[in-house]
Amino acid sequence: MKENKTGMRKSKKAKKDREIATPKEIASRIKNTSEIIVKEIKSNKDPSFTTMQRGKGNVVWDEQKRYLGLGEKTIVRNFLNVAHARKFMQTSMIMAKTNEYLLQNKTASIREIYYELKHTIEGTKENTFEGQGESDPVIVDLEHSVNTIREKLNLHANPKGTLYGNILLKDKMHFNDKFNASKLGRGGWSIMSRIEPEEIELLETDAEYLLVVETEAMFERLIEEGFPKKNKCLLIGVGGQAARGARRLIHRVHNEMEMPVYVFTDGDPYGWYIYSVIKQGSMALAAHSEFMSVPDAKYIGMTLDDVETYKLKNVTENMKEGDIKRAKEMIEYPWFQNKEWKRQLEKALKEKIRIEQQALANRKLDFVATTYLPEKIGKKDFLP
Amino acid sequence: MSKNQEENVSNTSLEQDATKLDLSFKEHSIAEFFKKNKQMLGFYGKVRTLTMIVHEYVTNSLDACEETGTLPNIDVKIDELGNEYYEITVTDNGPGISKENVGKAFGKLLAGTKFHRLIQSRGQQGIGCSGCTMLSQMTTGKASKIITGRKEKKPISLEITIDPKTNEPKITNLKELEKNFVGTAVQAKFKGILYRDSEQGPLEYLKRTAIANPHAQLSFRDPQGQKTIFKRTHDKVPDLPKEIKPHPKGVTVDEIITMVKTTKARTVQSFIMNDFDRTGTKSIQEMKKIINFDLNKDPKKIVWDEAEEIVKAFKAIDFIAPSVDALRPIGEEQINKSLNSIIKPEFLTVLTRKPAVYAGGFPFQIEIAIAYGGESGKVTSDGKKMEIMRFANRVPLPFDAGNCALTHAVQSIDWKRYNIKDAENSPVTVFINFISVHIPYTGAGKQSVADEEEVLEEVRLALMNTGRRAGIYISHKKKEEENQLKRKMFYKYIPEIARALNSITKVNEEEIKSKMEKLVLEKLKLDEAKDAEEMKKLEEIMENDSKSSVNNENKKKGKKK
Repeated sequence: MKENKTGMRKSKKAKKDREIATPKEIASRIKNTSEIIVKEIKSNKDPSFTTMQRGKGNVVWDEQKRYLGLGEKTIVRNFLNVAHARKFMQTSMIMAKTNEYLLQNKTASIREIYYELKHTIEGTKENTFEGQGESDPVIVDLEHSVNTIREKLNLHANPKGTLYGNILLKDKMHFNDKFNASKLGRGGWSIMSRIEPEEIELLETDAEYLLVVETEAMFERLIEEGFPKKNKCLLIGVGGQAARGARRLIHRVHNEMEMPVYVFTDGDPYGWYIYSVIKQGSMALAAHSEFMSVPDAKYIGMTLDDVETYKLKNVTENMKEGDIKRAKEMIEYPWFQNKEWKRQLEKALKEKIRIEQQALANRKLDFVATTYLPEKIGKKDFLP
Repeated sequence: MSKNQEENVSNTSLEQDATKLDLSFKEHSIAEFFKKNKQMLGFYGKVRTLTMIVHEYVTNSLDACEETGTLPNIDVKIDELGNEYYEITVTDNGPGISKENVGKAFGKLLAGTKFHRLIQSRGQQGIGCSGCTMLSQMTTGKASKIITGRKEKKPISLEITIDPKTNEPKITNLKELEKNFVGTAVQAKFKGILYRDSEQGPLEYLKRTAIANPHAQLSFRDPQGQKTIFKRTHDKVPDLPKEIKPHPKGVTVDEIITMVKTTKARTVQSFIMNDFDRTGTKSIQEMKKIINFDLNKDPKKIVWDEAEEIVKAFKAIDFIAPSVDALRPIGEEQINKSLNSIIKPEFLTVLTRKPAVYAGGFPFQIEIAIAYGGESGKVTSDGKKMEIMRFANRVPLPFDAGNCALTHAVQSIDWKRYNIKDAENSPVTVFINFISVHIPYTGAGKQSVADEEEVLEEVRLALMNTGRRAGIYISHKKKEEENQLKRKMFYKYIPEIARALNSITKVNEEEIKSKMEKLVLEKLKLDEAKDAEEMKKLEEIMENDSKSSVNNENKKKGKKK
């Protein structure tokens, strides 16, 4: 962390190899994979494509790194297998197309690459891809096969999430624009789906922590109350479950700006799971935890203790069927095996109530900005 | 119910029984009886009745031709005259009928030449052409028209009805015709019947008749004017079956009552000794111990109860098994020819089993064919289904399939063992001809064979044998098709893959393509070799299967001895 005279901190370069892999390097990995396939073909072998097995069966909790990771199980897909041939073809097409994007410095949404590759196979009535449902999993296969994330294949999904606060960013793909995320109006900056360092550079900030909030409404409330400026913090609204772009940005701000991350969600199993995904990754994207998780993140609230501390009993709601089911699952997760969270989840299952972030308005509209958050952060009253 | 009434009831039912079983007792009322009981004689159901009429005429024609060694050409036409009102015309090239006999053939019930003979014949079902004459006049009030011509004689034309009181033919409009015609043509009108192009309809009936009679040529014109010809595939009239005397083990009470009407014997004793097969003085001695009436009685005076006693005695005494000389199978070669000509299957296997004996006395023989592909199978809205063509002495049995031993035998086969997956829904035709001098029919309709243990077993063995051959062919073919499909599937993806790999690696697209195609072919060759090995194993398993079932068969035979 370097501080200059104005109190602004400069970004620290990402340290890990995988994170700074350039498009050129990713392209060469694709080329490598393809050359192995061609070599197999030339030497009369059934060509194969190897990727990681995904899903519950191959997700492991990495005690040391404190995030969900992918196990060692791989899948080999052979061309000369009736069940694999079509997917083998689709994989080769996605490889060729992403290779092209990388070399031409183009990016595309996963919907666009699907449309670009969809056509009728010559001499048949069969399409190369029958729907995006067929191309999306092939993209995930390739991500795992060349050991990267789709953002580095110059692909992106739909953007979601907003950033606000005193941080200077540079968009290298757009005239090298420099902009401050606190000077774009009250709406802040829409976090793009793809925010790799090759595109968006984090330059400098004076913020002391990053506050992630679940709802857009809370995000707006805090800006209206001038919270980020008064408390020297950055604000990210994730709007429910955090999208890849938002998670990647939280990860990068945390690592590159060496900034603590605090998460503020509704006080229910769904909100706590949002926190859990930001902190230690998700089952579905276990392989990408390295790029996206923030194991040091802390949880502010809402907790069921807040209900008593801040006298909110009259604005609680009953937990729904799905909340109860999720709480029962979460209590078994290895990463919730600490006494604070166990207590919290047991309490939820016992009282069967939930509390929303915005229920704090019951005390007063600005209560969250003037009292709740400053008190909690000041006392470091967090859940791990 | 008073005692009186009770007696009345039992009397009536007794009377009915007597009428049913002893037609010849009251000869003058036969026609009247027919009128009341046409259902019992097979004339029920609108579609079925039409087919039965065609059956009676065609059977008569076939038998007539064969008796004089003529290759049959039979032409059937059906014209629709109104609602459920048809005219049926059947013309053959048989020997023709003399003026004297035409009345017997078409105008007198139960006067057929075969009725009292035990011979492997077609004419054991129904009630013959006279029955049709009767049905025609009953439903339309019209006479049947006959034209018949014999060699070197002028053909005659006439109209015929039956006097229902006397069972005597009434011939009108008898004329000699000034033209050359050898054969018989009959034309009659019927009401209350219905033409259907269905499995039970006359077209299918004629098709099956043609299959079982490769020496016959049949042509058919349906009410819409559509013409179908089933060509002759074999140029030899089958040898006439030998007439044999009935074997005592197989005779029924009503048959005895019928036989005594025409016997030349003067005593019951000589009737039993002369008119039955394998009977002798030893049998008579044994029978005397069982039978309570005098065996010197005039057989023509036998009453129902006495006939029943004779049958019971026959059952109790041992006789030598009947000879199998009278059986006349169609023959594997002939079935092969006719099925190939009419069904045009991709694959066909035919088997004529050796004669066997059922119920301790009746020789019989089974012929089986399994046809696959081509026009095999039943066409339904739900795709092709398995079709079972049942025959008794070459006569198709289109009705009452569910009650028939031949159907039951087919259903009892586990087709999966023979690699015929989902047999019910496959394009398969199973042909079964049951040959015997005495067919154990169930029911008066004479359309289904009774579940005699030996019959079921014979049919099953024949099915296993032919099923094995068919299964080997079908699985070979399926594997081949699968491999073709696989090749196509792999091939279609190759150009896309080659293009993609070329764009990344710059290796020549054509080179990648041809190498990949070679890979596919090599892989399929390997698969084929593997399949062949599996097939070999399968064939061995099935071979052992059929051996063990033959062993079982031998064991059973051994036990009986």
